[in-house]
Amino acid sequence: MPQKGTTTKHIEHEVAPASAWLMGLAAWFVPGAGHLLQGKWLRGLLLGGAVFAMFIGGLLLGGHLFPLLGPYDEGVSKLLQVPPTIANVGTGALYLFCLVTNSGFADHANLPTYEYGNTFLLVAGLLNYLVMLDAFDIGAGRKS
Amino acid sequence: MRHLLLMAVFAAIVSVVFGIMTRDTQRTRVLYGLKVFAEFMGIGLVLGLLLYFVPGT
Repeated sequence: MPQKGTTTKHIEHEVAPASAWLMGLAAWFVPGAGHLLQGKWLRGLLLGGAVFAMFIGGLLLGGHLFPLLGPYDEGVSKLLQVPPTIANVGTGALYLFCLVTNSGFADHANLPTYEYGNTFLLVAGLLNYLVMLDAFDIGAGRKS
Repeated sequence: MRHLLLMAVFAAIVSVVFGIMTRDTQRTRVLYGLKVFAEFMGIGLVLGLLLYFVPGT
């Protein structure tokens, strides 16, 4: 019980609805799907299209994806491959498709655009994480 | 030339995403997207120019 002269603060935690989490998950799995399912057609197509374009562009430029499990280098090199793997996983089904078909993981270091390709692939995943958060916020009513 | 083109493509795609996600109205989205694109290109060109004078690059 609060004493005389003191004030109490009530901090209300806003709980996001389950649908918002589902929208976030859908947005991760298929880039742009979180927005499309919420009726944000143009936004979904532009954001999803940007992630798709970045991902496919990265593969065409000779970039490579980082595998979830082995064959990793040993020691510190192993740890250094964790952040780019997390970035790659951000592309959701695109990454999983490549994982299942075992495509996109080979090195093409001889190509002059190899590093561009890697950067495109990494940024595609990171952008999709942002798109995912945007879809979640719309689902939770925090954004219009 | 290819490097410049790829940088422009990269900047354009990222600018579209940033513009759509961080602004509310159509006009501010376009303006912010253009601003981000110009910043990417400008900073990229300046850094490229500076690296040109660095020995061994």
